[in-house]
Amino acid sequence: MNESVSLLAAILFPVLSGAVLLLLKKLNDRRKVLIYAGIAMGIAGVLILNALLGKEKEILLFFLTEDIPIVLKLDNMGKWFLAIMSLIWILAGIFSFPYMKHEGKERRYFGFYLITLGAMAGLGCAGNLVTMYAFFEFLTLASFPLVIHNQSREAVMAGLKYLFYSLFGAYMALFGLFFLCRYTDTISFIPGGTLNMELAKGNESVLLLAACLMIVGFSVKAGMFPLHAWLPTAHPVAPAPASALLSGVIVKAGVLAVIRVIFYEFGADFIRGTWVQYVFMTLSLITVFMGSMLAFRENGLKKRLAYSTVSQLSYILFGIALLNPVALTGSLLHVAGHAVIKCALFLCAGAVIFQTGITTVDGLKGIGKKMPVTIWCFTIVSLGLIGIPPTGGFISKWYLAVGALESGIKGFQYAGPIVLLVSALLTAGYLLPVTIKGFFPGTDFDYGETKKCEAGAAMTIPIVILAALSVLIGMFPNTFIEFISAFTAGLM
Amino acid sequence: MNEVMLLFIVLFPFAAGVLVSLIPFKNRKAMLIFIETAVIINSIMVWMILLNRPAGTFTMLKFSGNLSVTFHIDGLATVFAGLVSLLWPLATLYSFEYMKHENHEKIFFTFYVITYGVTLGIATSANILSMYFFYELLTLVTTPLVLHTLKREAVLAARTYLYYSIGGAAFAFIGMIFVIIYGSTSDFIYGGVMNIAPHAENTNLLLFIYVLAFMGFGVKAAVCPFCAWLPQAGVAPTPVTALLHAVAVVKSGAFAIMRLTYYSFGTDFLKGTWAQYTVMGVTIFTIVFGCSMAVKERHIKRRLAYSTISNLSYILFGVTIMTPLGLVGALTHLVCHAVMKICSFFCAGAIMYKTEKSYVYELDGLGRKMPMTFGIFTVSALALMGVPGLCGFISKFNLAKAAVESQNTFSYVGIGALLISAILTAIYMMGIVVRAYFPRQDFDQETIADAKDPNWMMLLPLGLFTVAMLALGLYPTPLLELFRNIAMGLF
Repeated sequence: MNESVSLLAAILFPVLSGAVLLLLKKLNDRRKVLIYAGIAMGIAGVLILNALLGKEKEILLFFLTEDIPIVLKLDNMGKWFLAIMSLIWILAGIFSFPYMKHEGKERRYFGFYLITLGAMAGLGCAGNLVTMYAFFEFLTLASFPLVIHNQSREAVMAGLKYLFYSLFGAYMALFGLFFLCRYTDTISFIPGGTLNMELAKGNESVLLLAACLMIVGFSVKAGMFPLHAWLPTAHPVAPAPASALLSGVIVKAGVLAVIRVIFYEFGADFIRGTWVQYVFMTLSLITVFMGSMLAFRENGLKKRLAYSTVSQLSYILFGIALLNPVALTGSLLHVAGHAVIKCALFLCAGAVIFQTGITTVDGLKGIGKKMPVTIWCFTIVSLGLIGIPPTGGFISKWYLAVGALESGIKGFQYAGPIVLLVSALLTAGYLLPVTIKGFFPGTDFDYGETKKCEAGAAMTIPIVILAALSVLIGMFPNTFIEFISAFTAGLM
Repeated sequence: MNEVMLLFIVLFPFAAGVLVSLIPFKNRKAMLIFIETAVIINSIMVWMILLNRPAGTFTMLKFSGNLSVTFHIDGLATVFAGLVSLLWPLATLYSFEYMKHENHEKIFFTFYVITYGVTLGIATSANILSMYFFYELLTLVTTPLVLHTLKREAVLAARTYLYYSIGGAAFAFIGMIFVIIYGSTSDFIYGGVMNIAPHAENTNLLLFIYVLAFMGFGVKAAVCPFCAWLPQAGVAPTPVTALLHAVAVVKSGAFAIMRLTYYSFGTDFLKGTWAQYTVMGVTIFTIVFGCSMAVKERHIKRRLAYSTISNLSYILFGVTIMTPLGLVGALTHLVCHAVMKICSFFCAGAIMYKTEKSYVYELDGLGRKMPMTFGIFTVSALALMGVPGLCGFISKFNLAKAAVESQNTFSYVGIGALLISAILTAIYMMGIVVRAYFPRQDFDQETIADAKDPNWMMLLPLGLFTVAMLALGLYPTPLLELFRNIAMGLF
């Protein structure tokens, strides 16, 4: 199929089908909504796959004004993110079918769920900065109703917090965008950067400020300190599959945007060795440590997982901040690894909530006896997040640590790996108690009361698939590494 | 097209307005048809003139020497007159429905129609005296509209409005005198008319006078600290607040400042002086101040009025960049903001008209009950926030582009202010939208059971504005081309 058609279809179909679902007021029957959503999700998945298999080609849609073209281009970087995003989206979507029964308002949920995919596809396919910015804002707005789904006061406040933080970040990024438009040859994404050095001469300081604001601004979506506070508030209040989507992949939108800004607009060389790089590294390392600590002392299960996302996302950001190919490879692997693992963790939490209503870690005593498959999967992916071989987390952390050591940046060369290790320990400290409490409830536990209450197949199967994937990534990482290194090499 | 027609478009609304009072209409419908026909005829005339522009000028009154009330159409006039003439018929249509539940309709429509002529007078003035003349007149003919309900707060608001406007006009008057004396001519000529060289020792005085005149005209454009009248004037019926206090009156202030800066004093003289920094500082402060107050305010119309204060200063910020691109940005926002704000005001008016609710915290759950109104309100909220694809983004982009291009560090601060204002805009607009669509869990749907969308007279203008917001957001190129030509002095 023609590339322009396939990309447009991948973006527009989910948006339109979601919008139609929202407008079909008469579709009150739960079963019909699910059938509609299922079919739409299937078609959307096929269309995205089709787009992913297409060739890399730049498509000029139209000119917003004569200096702002709207361009779609699915390069390998975009493909990597889009593939991960849509995979997680589909699995969490399948999980939603039974899960949303106890949340209600399925029509609205699936409507926005579909639109969110369109926004993510647009983000992956965006070929220049303004296009990406547009989809970035669109993604925020489309995922907002997912956060406030149950409409409790707490959820609405959390949703607004999410909205305002994200928009604040986006506007910070917009500040930089205005400057980029002036000082670059083109705002299209070109590996190695598009900054026009002759124009930039003499204006370095303001451009660095712009770069810093763009990085920090887009990182808001990825929950980087000091603008991370929305994440642990907003992710847990959403329905579990939506949390999985938010924490697993929507945060990655921020990562993709930061990568685009650094490697495709400013160019790594422009930022390397400047204060911007140091600020970025420092902030991401602080976040890694702080996120883990906060997760460690949090009792609510979903909230603990959200703090964990804060920490893990900054692993990825730190890898980007090092500005070397090895670390970037580690980051991109961790994007995949973390997406799979965090999605699985949230779905496990969701399955537990759905079956038993337990929301705190302390309440999970003996849960392993009731829901063995779920908790086994939880354990496997936990090990992955901690970074124990042969699971996915190990490889990416290895690359991150090697990248840090190779970078030779004074201070961070050692501080980086140390913080990563400490944080890995803390990760073990906050994830393993679930397993331990679940399988070893202690001597005073009454085994007579427990009976099997495993969730249904539609909920368990996505979890098992994700757990298996997390192990597979760890065991056979070479295909991915080859794919990634092929295009990261051209970036620096 | 003959120059005399310039007189026609200004005087015809006067005549029509007076006739509304004098003719004993058989019923309401006849009166409404008369008004709408008059307004539409005038708009058609305006467009006919704009499309075949008369090159010359037309002098209506000649006082003495070079003092005269003269009309002429140039690029800037085209934009303002074109904008006003598109909005007026729609706003009139809207007010037919809205005014149903207010009294003294005849007086209201008399002044509503007359104001149309006066605004066109400001737009088509050829020299600073004519502009001043119509500027004062505008204050006088709009006061009865603010006064309309005759309630205590309306009287107070009208009084404040008068004091501020006439006080401001006094400052503007000083500016005018200096332009007439120091300028080679008092006509508007792109690039400025000031004859500086012989008066080099008075440079600082002239700059001071510029700042005075800026603040004087700025009263209508609601710059801080002279913005208090605008939220108060929100007691007027919504068609007035929407059309006059978001477009015609306040944009006359902005328009006058454009004339003053680019056509009288001239940017070559002002650029880089302390006067530029002063006025730019004032606009930057107002941008942030207006938005912050809007966040705090809970009355919908007053909230939108504060938002107007902030957005007007976007325009003025563009003006104070004092480059051709700055003027392009200012004009873009002049047009885009007009559409966005009139649209959001009309939605607010529709809500107040249908439900009698006027505070933000009373809007729970109305999104479902009034789907069209709130759908359109959401679009206008997103546009005001500057979401790409809608017109707000285009104008913000152009303003910021001009600020970056000017390489003036102080204007970088202005970009920051624009973005802070954008996030505050998100807070005060999305707060309303979210509340309307996602009411609290314990909200009782019964309390709003009979709320519903207004009829076509209100929805048609809203729908057209929505289309305009999308069209300007997705395909602004022809308009920007026009603005660029104006700013190059070509048009």
